[in-house]
Amino acid sequence: MTEDESATTSSRRQFLRNSGLVLSFTFGAKTLLLTPSEARAKNLPLKILAPAEAATLSAVAEGLVPGARTAGVVHYIDHQLAASQEDSLLMLQYLGVPHAGFSGFYQAALAGAAVAAKTRFNAEWVDLNDTQIKEMIDLFNGPDPEGWTGPPSGFFSFVLRADACDVVYGTESGFDSLDIPYMAHIQPATEW
Amino acid sequence: MSRISSVEQVDVVIVGAGAAGGVIADRAVAAGKQVLLLEAGPARGMSDLVSSQIWARKLKWSGPVVEEQGDEKVGHSFNSGWGTGGSAMHHYAVWPRLHAGDFDVASRHGVGLDWPLAYEELRPYYDKAQSDVGISGDAAREVWRPPGDKYPMPPLPVFAQGNVIGKGFEAMGLATSPIPLAVNSIEYKGRASCLYDGWCDAGCPIGALANPLATYLGWALAAGAQIKNRAWVTRVLHDKSGSRATGVEYADETGERHQVMADTVVLAAFTVQTSRLLLASSSSAHPNGLSNRNDLVGRYLMTHPAVSVYGMFEDETQPHLGATGGQLLCQENYDDKKSDDGGYGSYQWLIANAVKPNDLLGISTTRPDIYGAALDPFMKKAAKHFGNMVCIGEGIASANNRVTLSSNKDAYGEPLASTVHNVAKSSAIMREGALAQGKAVFKAGGANEVWSGPPGSIHIMGGTVMGKSAADSVTDEFGRCHELENLYIAGPGLFPSSGAVNPTFTLHALALRTAEHLFTS
Repeated sequence: MTEDESATTSSRRQFLRNSGLVLSFTFGAKTLLLTPSEARAKNLPLKILAPAEAATLSAVAEGLVPGARTAGVVHYIDHQLAASQEDSLLMLQYLGVPHAGFSGFYQAALAGAAVAAKTRFNAEWVDLNDTQIKEMIDLFNGPDPEGWTGPPSGFFSFVLRADACDVVYGTESGFDSLDIPYMAHIQPATEW
Repeated sequence: MSRISSVEQVDVVIVGAGAAGGVIADRAVAAGKQVLLLEAGPARGMSDLVSSQIWARKLKWSGPVVEEQGDEKVGHSFNSGWGTGGSAMHHYAVWPRLHAGDFDVASRHGVGLDWPLAYEELRPYYDKAQSDVGISGDAAREVWRPPGDKYPMPPLPVFAQGNVIGKGFEAMGLATSPIPLAVNSIEYKGRASCLYDGWCDAGCPIGALANPLATYLGWALAAGAQIKNRAWVTRVLHDKSGSRATGVEYADETGERHQVMADTVVLAAFTVQTSRLLLASSSSAHPNGLSNRNDLVGRYLMTHPAVSVYGMFEDETQPHLGATGGQLLCQENYDDKKSDDGGYGSYQWLIANAVKPNDLLGISTTRPDIYGAALDPFMKKAAKHFGNMVCIGEGIASANNRVTLSSNKDAYGEPLASTVHNVAKSSAIMREGALAQGKAVFKAGGANEVWSGPPGSIHIMGGTVMGKSAADSVTDEFGRCHELENLYIAGPGLFPSSGAVNPTFTLHALALRTAEHLFTS
């Protein structure tokens, strides 16, 4: 490696460290270290979620935590759903849901969300305007909306909001956006 | 019976490489014993303790699921640890002592269980742990503090959040003191001092916080104790008569079974798993599980009923600064356990905890009702003006709160642990009263918005309680099982009552007492 290449690699590593949330994405034969936002920008294929599920997830997460979409919340959650129990960083880890049920939790809830939007507005989530999205999320936080399936809608809303807050506010750039010094002892490393 | 791939012999085998196991290991090695710790989770070193609330989830339980029921579940996933260092790797190092009145609640109040020893008998071990590990605090200002040696380090500084909330306590006529923390305010015995950056929950890699790797466990490993990670202990073995443990059997990460034979067996696998292991080790001599002739194993499972108060203050609070455990302590009226409204239990306030924006205890999660366009303005305001404190209340030992074996099995074919935990009505009343007080304190301190979190449980204790006889307990006052003379238990599972203080200091003191009994007599 030349000095320039070394400097570039070092600079890249520094960038990744500063981003605070870097995941190891496998794409074909390659393994790429990317932030969820970069993975989204590169449109890397998802491992667990179907395109329709991803579209719903993106819309609901953005409705809960603005900025979650561009921060790569879909790639983050999809990546974590494919991880082993020990490597999973999802909020569900704390909430007594068996690891084997993580994907089912999200997929059932996303199916419920899709049906609820259809029932309420006869539309997909991606076609809802801001007011309609707010109305849907308000519904989540009450009794399960009509057409809902899966885990309780309020619990799903809580969990997804927390995951989205991780991606938006839990990284060094997220701290920066709030003007909170990160002050790490050990920076989040290049791989989770 | 599964095929056994290997058998080895040691003097002392310890199940669980957490705080309690670390103390026993350190003292055993010092006594010249050959020690092996079996740890279910992965190897972990100080360099693994990455400063991130997201990363911190790796420190929490990732073993077989614990089934939970009851109106206040024990929260095993959040309260337990996974890997070398166990739960104490992510503990906040709030180290107050139990009060004398916490040891005889059944005799004095007709509630729960008495301890088989009094505070004065445990005091020397509190003092020793305090000296070994180091605690920062101001004993003189803890007017409620039981007798004990002065703290070896001055208190950590109080930052803006502590000052602001402290004014509220003062206005209410309630005393506060610096919180006693097993966190170094100055360099202590070669360990660095704290940087006040609030990453305690993610593990403290500089060793300022007394996590097991920085203290007894680290010392034990340096002195020659051995550790096997990824060793899931499936049963405790015993002799034909059933009166002596002979060792343990464990499955490695490939599922192969091994046996470790030992003169002394110590179970320090935290509250729920220690109970599960005793129950799962049933045999013809112990058909209901080890040391369970009187159906007491798993019973008296306890938590601390807790609730948090949050507020937004006019003044800037710098809520990211300090230790996660808090800056100030209030134990006013701690010893008045009964209230006129039917409430029962002591409580304390841990005041001005350092907080991060995200995570279960982070700023964002305190207001799950705020979302969408309103969220970012809230977060930006809270980053400068947020204040918080948590009430830790006393739980009551009830035989109906317990660990049992599930009919469902783990990957090794062993039964999962199942728990049920309901909060007593008198505890709930106590907590409601504390919450009202906490909100009044925040208003008195100038908060212009005050809200609270949901009532919940923190810390897990009991299940293998100590006592004076086999009729009322699983172990004697040294943690020795009544029915097997060389089988010991260490950790908060021994507590017959919870008090209202964080349990880690007390479990250290108890483990030191057990170790002295084992290796000095």
